[in-house]
Amino acid sequence: MWLLSDLVEAFRNRSRYGSLVGMNNRNVSLVRGYNRREDYLFADDKILCKSLLEAGGVSVPPTIATGEGLRDIPRLLGLLRGRSNFVVKPASGSGGDGIVVVGEADEGGWQTAKGSFLGEEAMGRHLAEIVFGAFSNDLEDRILIEERIVPHALFAEFFAGGVSDIRIILLEEVPLMGMVRIPTLASGGRANLHQGGIGVAMDLATGTTFRAVSRGESVLRHPEKGGALIGRQLPHWEQTLEVARLAAASVPLGYVGVDIVVDAVRGPLVLELNARPGLEIQNINGRGLGAALAAVGKEVA
Amino acid sequence: MPDTGNKEKPKQKSWGVGWLIAVLLLLPLLSAGHKVGVLHYALTDALPDDEYTVSVSMTLDGHGERAKVRTFLPVEDSRQKVMTLTPASSAAFRFSESNERDNRVGNWIGTEVSDGTKLGYTAVVRLLGQQFELGPDIEVPKEHAKGLAKYLAPEEAVQSDNADIIALMKQVKGDEGGARERIQRMFDMVQKLKFRPFSGTTDALTALRLGEASCNGKSRLLVALMRASGIPARLVGGVVLENGKKRTSHQWVEAFAGGHWVPFDATNHHFAELPANYLVLYRGDETLFRHTSDTNFDYGFEIVRRQVPAERTLTTFPAFNVWALFSRLGLPFSLLQTVLMLPLGALVVVLFRNVIGVPTFGTFLPALLAAAAGETGLVWGILAVTIVMLGVVAARAALSRFGLLMSPTLAILLACVVFMMMGTAMAAERLGLPELTRIAYFPIAVMAIASERFYLIVSEGSTTKAFKHLAGTMLVVAACHLVMNSIAMQVLVSGFPEFLLWAIAANVYLGRWVGVRVVEFMRFKAVAAGAGGSHVAAL
Repeated sequence: MWLLSDLVEAFRNRSRYGSLVGMNNRNVSLVRGYNRREDYLFADDKILCKSLLEAGGVSVPPTIATGEGLRDIPRLLGLLRGRSNFVVKPASGSGGDGIVVVGEADEGGWQTAKGSFLGEEAMGRHLAEIVFGAFSNDLEDRILIEERIVPHALFAEFFAGGVSDIRIILLEEVPLMGMVRIPTLASGGRANLHQGGIGVAMDLATGTTFRAVSRGESVLRHPEKGGALIGRQLPHWEQTLEVARLAAASVPLGYVGVDIVVDAVRGPLVLELNARPGLEIQNINGRGLGAALAAVGKEVA
Repeated sequence: MPDTGNKEKPKQKSWGVGWLIAVLLLLPLLSAGHKVGVLHYALTDALPDDEYTVSVSMTLDGHGERAKVRTFLPVEDSRQKVMTLTPASSAAFRFSESNERDNRVGNWIGTEVSDGTKLGYTAVVRLLGQQFELGPDIEVPKEHAKGLAKYLAPEEAVQSDNADIIALMKQVKGDEGGARERIQRMFDMVQKLKFRPFSGTTDALTALRLGEASCNGKSRLLVALMRASGIPARLVGGVVLENGKKRTSHQWVEAFAGGHWVPFDATNHHFAELPANYLVLYRGDETLFRHTSDTNFDYGFEIVRRQVPAERTLTTFPAFNVWALFSRLGLPFSLLQTVLMLPLGALVVVLFRNVIGVPTFGTFLPALLAAAAGETGLVWGILAVTIVMLGVVAARAALSRFGLLMSPTLAILLACVVFMMMGTAMAAERLGLPELTRIAYFPIAVMAIASERFYLIVSEGSTTKAFKHLAGTMLVVAACHLVMNSIAMQVLVSGFPEFLLWAIAANVYLGRWVGVRVVEFMRFKAVAAGAGGSHVAAL
């Protein structure tokens, strides 16, 4: 019954949630209010999104190849044979499903970043699954193959076993709120918060981290690695914000989440966009989007 | 370079929502006002009638010999309509029907009847309640028509000529004034007798002497008093129809006053009225079941009530009469009730999802599941869905090692769902759980869609999330079931389907409602705590 009493307690304090943007408000005022449904595609389809970003002059990870249909698979396998450090993605996947990060090429296949061997046949099968839409809610999908990113030293220090990314939410190209998403061993190397990733909030003006949340609890250090998460200056911050603005300006979406990785060599690169960015970022920042909206002179509802 | 469409960012304005809601609220009021004011609809006319399926079952140990059983069949009259009557008996018996005086008798005659032989009949009946206005000026005539003589004469168990009975009748002034006053005084007297559920037969005099009786003793005493007072009266036997199984039959009284046979039940306190669930089986001092002596005999009644549109509804609603339409198309009334209630069910789902924040499998599915659970009952319906979902988890565990693609996996899943439903129905039959066997009636489409949704969430790697959604769905199914099966709602919506526009109005409002969902108060506690301090984007 603790759940119910917590709920009652939270409901009693509801006046203190003034700046919180709930799911209804997000959907009505932000997503519905600033994005047309037919434009979601420009964020949801990674290949389409990437072509828009490139056209807008946004730095993105270099594309090795794209493919569609079973007939493309032999060509792609030929292209990948002997190649190291690439990432295979379903164009319309979500939550990191179907993404395979490949390290070194090996005899008859590849070593994945997770440390297992992937034979050519298994790779072909994975590509077929992508094409059949196994990772999207559709009957078919396209394949996107990109160069693997080498994270900047700070992010490698946060967690080396997976890629940390920065999510910045913008409204009409104005950044509202951001966070770094750091994978954990528990999250299987994925940066998804609901799978156990850590969220770290940063001051948008300076790029200094001020709060970290792991599984709903505020923490100071990475619970597995022990590295400090608070008070860290994120690298290339000005450039990161600029890339986010540029990405938001490249697509016809008024309310958008931009996911950025900072490459050791190339600097901030946009990984993907989200037309319906989640609300958990408010918990990570410890404040509501409403306050951020008011601060930039926007009002919702 | 793909076409990016209009680069201009849309800032969508919505307007006219208030007007739309106002119109949706107003239209049903105008329409209902027109129906009531001009077309003279009455909400009570929308009340459905009860139709009862009454199964009378008898078991007889015939010892392999000749046996005879007779019982009464429901008569048809102005308040009692027999839709169908089907005798059911083993081949050992021959069934025949006859009329004896006012009654309709079913006879079963069999040769070489073995032990435990079952026989009986099933009747589908519709009944009306009855109420009589007994005016104060109805006199008790000195002389009655010849045909009424037997209703005034004493009988073996109705001793209306007994001195004690006559004395009691005089003591309560049963022979003074008009028919109404007399009957009232005698009725009050018998009503005051202590009720005791004797199983046997009590005659009028015994009931009087003991000062307590069951329904048949009270009724015989009342008939005896009435006859002594010069009012023609007779016993009536039948069954009070209530959903379920019972062994008890019931007896009450009819008195001839003002040219009518008027019902009185001193046991259950009905004066000059008869409730709409009293099934008349016979009139006169009869025994309900008669059979060859020296055999072990048992009987029972099983009654199932269901609602059907009242005939007056079919005829008195001239405009937009969906009931009449369904009746012409030969579709079952229960389907109409379900169809009309679905929009309300969906509204309940929206309230739970958008105002409270309970996760469910889609918006329609809980309402559809609730409608489907109407066949099985809520608890059994929920149990059935849970069993099938557990089967889905098991099937996934079994299939996951083969790395099959999604669509073929889902197709296999559908086969599993079919097996599971049939298997559960069979197992339930073996275990003697008749309610659970009705899982076979569960619309396969609804079950299949629920399974697919459930599977998709499980296959995203989150069994916990899938079960959370399942639990949320079940909670909302229960709420939908409550609303969709509410008689008040059904009557309102079937008589005035235009009020469904109110559900649309509510959904329009909720479609623009931006309030925080109840569960979000808990999810975003960090926001209320102000954990982020004053880090405001100063850009």
